[in-house]
Amino acid sequence: MSRRLRITIDYDRCVGSGICILTAPGVFAYNAERQSTVTDPTAEPAERVLEAAQGCPQLAITVEDAETGERLFPPPGLG
Amino acid sequence: MIIQDDLLAPDVVADPYTYFGRLREADPVHWNPRWGGWLVTRYDLVVEALRDWDRFSADRMASLALELSPADRERLSLLINYFSKWLVFTDPPYHTRVRMLVNKAFTPTSVERLRPRARAIINELLASVANRGGMEFIHEFAFHLPVIVISEYLGVPPEDREQLKEWSDETSRIFFIRADEPDRRERSQEGLRHLLEYFEPLIEDRRRHPKDDLISALVQAEERGDLLSHDELLATCTVLIFAGHETTTNLLANGLVALMEHRDQWELLQQNPTLVRPAVEELLRYDGPVKATFRWAKVDTELGGTPIRAGDRLLLVLGAANRDPRKFAHPDDLDITRTPNPHVAFGHGIHVCLGAPLARLEAQEAFLALSQRFPTLRLADRPREYHRTLVARALKELWVEWS
Repeated sequence: MSRRLRITIDYDRCVGSGICILTAPGVFAYNAERQSTVTDPTAEPAERVLEAAQGCPQLAITVEDAETGERLFPPPGLG
Repeated sequence: MIIQDDLLAPDVVADPYTYFGRLREADPVHWNPRWGGWLVTRYDLVVEALRDWDRFSADRMASLALELSPADRERLSLLINYFSKWLVFTDPPYHTRVRMLVNKAFTPTSVERLRPRARAIINELLASVANRGGMEFIHEFAFHLPVIVISEYLGVPPEDREQLKEWSDETSRIFFIRADEPDRRERSQEGLRHLLEYFEPLIEDRRRHPKDDLISALVQAEERGDLLSHDELLATCTVLIFAGHETTTNLLANGLVALMEHRDQWELLQQNPTLVRPAVEELLRYDGPVKATFRWAKVDTELGGTPIRAGDRLLLVLGAANRDPRKFAHPDDLDITRTPNPHVAFGHGIHVCLGAPLARLEAQEAFLALSQRFPTLRLADRPREYHRTLVARALKELWVEWS
């Protein structure tokens, strides 16, 4: 499945735990402030990107389907 | 400005915000000769130090080992061996490997399934005191909730909880630095020894008879290869039971005091239960359970223009950062609608509290239930006293009443 994803990071929540970067390297990387930044949304399978978003202790990552706009994470009620 | 240097002086313990707030404005990276380290109080500098593990180490055992004589190192070898495997005291790459493994069990998604059970425990605890018109909040409520939740999640039988609390309290003596306890390291090691002896057979049992609990999940992770060694597994069980004890208790107690002292905010929450999520974040910011955390400089460096030498220790004062007017408007006001709220009550960077999603969930459900069930809740007219420690913001007792 090659779904195009839109990945958004909430910088008021991101604390740079690095978990997304370790889960989906290539998609996420540290920026100069040691918060997470999206380098290439297509570098890993969508499942891996979702796993990275789910792993975030701060719920700082939102993942949507880039075409339909459907929110894939977090589900309603979680954040 | 003359800055008094006794960090455990009664007025500093009672109100750390005034003392550390003055320091933040006068000298945000301040050398305290009496404690023998740097006090860092400005938000941006606390965050800078927490983000940079290349310059600032969390390895407390390495620094402890340097302080001790060879004979003491030998005597405390069990303590040093296991604490040096506790996530909070480790740097990458060890930290990265173990954190990634344990993190899965504590993500917001993973802990969400514990919410109905947390709600049920809260209702049981509150039902048991409802007719009395009052309670000592810490020992009758705030202590039980996190312990029951983490014990059930780990897979610890209910009848063992009291015993585990005792050992956990003993273990904690090394962290909650008090001037009057010369044998605290030895007592801490004894507490830890008991915890290890307790978990050893429990782990063996789950190896043979896996259950739907966290110990079983960690054992399976151990067996999948080089993920978690047996010692690492034991260390992780002890750190989880330990961390599940005191901090959430203090979040609940400090948060309740803040709400009681800001009646308008309590009523706002009572009338708008959906505000409970931002409310808990604000309670964490306003008077969180952990006043400060430690780091050690790995190299000669600087922080905010102040030179720091390799080996120097730093006290990063989370409570002062959370009241920094450069980051938060009206920082000394309690505003449960505050959004965004980038507080550092759970730390920041790779060591950000593993249990934060679970602590948030427990606090949300607790304040929701308290405000709905006891809208008339108020502080009883009794003096409140905090434990005399550097790290924990911990009340000894908290008496409340309702009608």
